[in-house]
Amino acid sequence: MKKRIFLATVFVCSLCVSCEHDNFDAPDAVLSGRVIYNGNPVGVRSNGAQLELWQDGFALRTKIPVYIAWDGTFHAAVFEGEYKIVRLNGAPWENQPGDTIKVTVKGNTAVDVPVTPYFVASGVSYQKDAGGITATFTVQQASASATLESATLYLSKSIITDEQYNDAKESVPAASITPGQTVTVTAAIPESLTDYLFARIGVKAAQSSERCYTQPEKIQLR
Amino acid sequence: MPVAMLTAGLLAGCNEDEWLERTPKDRLTDEQVWNDPNMILGVLANYYDRLPQLAGVFNTGASAEFDDAMWSGHTDQNSHNDLAYGDSYGRYWDYDFLRDINLSLENIAQHGGNLTDEQKKQFNAELRFIRAYVYFELVKRMGGVPLVTTQLIYEGGGDPTPLQVPRAKESDVYDFIYDELEAIKDNFNATEGSRTRANKYAALALQSRAMLYAGSIAKYNALMGAPIATPGGEVGIPDSKANDYYQKSLTASQAIIANTEYELYNPSSGSKGDDYYKLFMDKSAKEIIFAKDFATGKVHSFTYDNVVKSFRVDIEGSSMLAPSLSLVESFDYLDGSSGALKDKDTAGNYVAYEKPEEIFAGKDARLYGTVVYAGSLFRGEPVDIQAGVAVWNEAEGKYSLHTGELGSTYDDGKPLTGFDGPKNDYQYVSNTGFYIRKFVSENPQDGVRPSLASNWWPWFRLGEVYLNAAEAAFELNGGGANYVNELREKHGGFPANSIANLTVDVIRNERRVELAFEDHRYFDLKRWRIADQVWNGQEADPTAVVHGLYPYRVIRAGHADDGKYIFDRVRPNRFRRARYFRMANYYSSIATAVLTNNPKIVKNPFH
Repeated sequence: MKKRIFLATVFVCSLCVSCEHDNFDAPDAVLSGRVIYNGNPVGVRSNGAQLELWQDGFALRTKIPVYIAWDGTFHAAVFEGEYKIVRLNGAPWENQPGDTIKVTVKGNTAVDVPVTPYFVASGVSYQKDAGGITATFTVQQASASATLESATLYLSKSIITDEQYNDAKESVPAASITPGQTVTVTAAIPESLTDYLFARIGVKAAQSSERCYTQPEKIQLR
Repeated sequence: MPVAMLTAGLLAGCNEDEWLERTPKDRLTDEQVWNDPNMILGVLANYYDRLPQLAGVFNTGASAEFDDAMWSGHTDQNSHNDLAYGDSYGRYWDYDFLRDINLSLENIAQHGGNLTDEQKKQFNAELRFIRAYVYFELVKRMGGVPLVTTQLIYEGGGDPTPLQVPRAKESDVYDFIYDELEAIKDNFNATEGSRTRANKYAALALQSRAMLYAGSIAKYNALMGAPIATPGGEVGIPDSKANDYYQKSLTASQAIIANTEYELYNPSSGSKGDDYYKLFMDKSAKEIIFAKDFATGKVHSFTYDNVVKSFRVDIEGSSMLAPSLSLVESFDYLDGSSGALKDKDTAGNYVAYEKPEEIFAGKDARLYGTVVYAGSLFRGEPVDIQAGVAVWNEAEGKYSLHTGELGSTYDDGKPLTGFDGPKNDYQYVSNTGFYIRKFVSENPQDGVRPSLASNWWPWFRLGEVYLNAAEAAFELNGGGANYVNELREKHGGFPANSIANLTVDVIRNERRVELAFEDHRYFDLKRWRIADQVWNGQEADPTAVVHGLYPYRVIRAGHADDGKYIFDRVRPNRFRRARYFRMANYYSSIATAVLTNNPKIVKNPFH
């Protein structure tokens, strides 16, 4: 009997010991930052654009995708060390695969990633009138080689407002936009929105399926 | 004395080299396999079985990932309805298979001394057909890939660079496919008339399809706002090559159409809808050019997966693929009008129908052969598709819709919700109001595990070749209407020459209708470069969101519509996310391990 108890104790202890060997520490550092153009964060589609993070010196070399939030910020929990940030195309900015940004992550590290969007909307103002919400803005060409496709005003009940999630939208084709000159677009307010809404401008270049967005703005309806 | 004898015996044994060199009993040698036609046939059977597909060969799950259907099966697989096409969606990189084929080609040449020249020619042609098929699958998903046609052998010495083959141009891979098939198409001497082994016409059908893809990529990529291309041509085909590819496709299609061995399935008896259904179930159909056969012992679960709810015989399964309203509406009316269903009049009021099937009356017969809808027959019995009742609310001046459990009865003693639903948010019952008929067996036993179904999978059939010919002819010189019209007449029951003015949109719609659930939709939209517009991720867009159509019985005493049926358009709750195809999805990403092992491989755009 004693022998059995002894064996059982050894067995249980061995379980506890072995646990230490197959547990890894969780990533303890945070790499955060913004994607910026001219010092301002670049708005993107929620869950749309990503940066690639690479770390050299380990046998398993694979990218760590870092998704960018709608307002142009990003956060990633990683281990401390040296990383390279790659700006991919497929986002609303120029592809720079060879131009990596080296960053040393130690504790909580903040880094701003400069990008060159194809087009940006600036000087945005919204006005509520009889026809709905009227947006006035200027489209600026940031990348010389880009071709403009359209600019769109989005209205939504939530701050996550983009091509995929919106309650109303109104587009202006490239033909009626001259970069640098004022553009006006009006979208009717959907019946479902009564208290407030969020408005946002997205500008699309032919080079990417993603748009470059302004920061959403809350508009009180009453 | 015994010790001496034992020692002598041992010595004697050691001298016998033959004792050490025995034929192994647990494996086959190269000479045994590659010198015996029956053994080679066994290897070929394995290779035919490994031919790749994305949403084909009765792949129910992947078929629910486009705009033709949603998933209504078990809720743990609802990811089909909540799908964001990832960067790796559709990735295919099967160089194991290519190595097996290359090895077989070399081994037959080296060891096949007992084979006749005719046999060698036949096997060589079949293997190269399979290899061309695999390269086609690679190029349509990944763009240009490394062209490896011999075994790659590591010579030692620590230098792997001879093994690192760079990607060929996208156009080079299509050219390789064409040239291979040109070289072998007249070498098939033992499989003439076969529907399940490759022959000249299977090779021509692959040529017809592959060259059409190459032509449309060349043409429509160049028409994009920003064409997708890499500097080295691994992705992107120059516009100037389009006509050459279209011409090659048309020539191959015409050669198949000219052969009387193949005919559009068009038996004179029976209804057109039934005939279209039987085209896929009747293994003597002369329309099938090349198929993957199934038989007892080699079965598939498509009938188990997709049988209409109340007709299921197994204790689980059924109803997994629920065809979308947009697919149903893409079937034209026989009078030539577009297929939008008239569920409401111009004032926005419901249109009431005496019987539920009347809303589908006068449609392309292929609708009946593809989809089970309210009021149609399945296995000779009427299906019970009714979502609920619509009770007129006089005070509000509109209908209020009521639903119940499957097979329930309303207060008036008449049916509330049918045994076949549709039922929003339920599993194993259609969430759209439609079931799939195509490929689903009429034999109840075919839906029972483990015996399951053995109808075959058509890789190539004449109907597709007609549409390939029409598209190629149209792109070349605006012709091709005769092919579309003949197909619509024989399969759909349209009057002769139903399309007077052929357009790109007519051809594209015809492909969606004729080839639904045959693993074409995803690749067609990709090569036309419109996938990002059709599946644009917008929640408000009915082309990107799967909708359903729910029939309700009207309760409105004293009114002419009482007891009739109205139809309500529904966005099923289980459909979670609008289909969103990004530019990055035109070419799938290449796995990191592949890029790491071979630094000469360039990445696809957007990855």
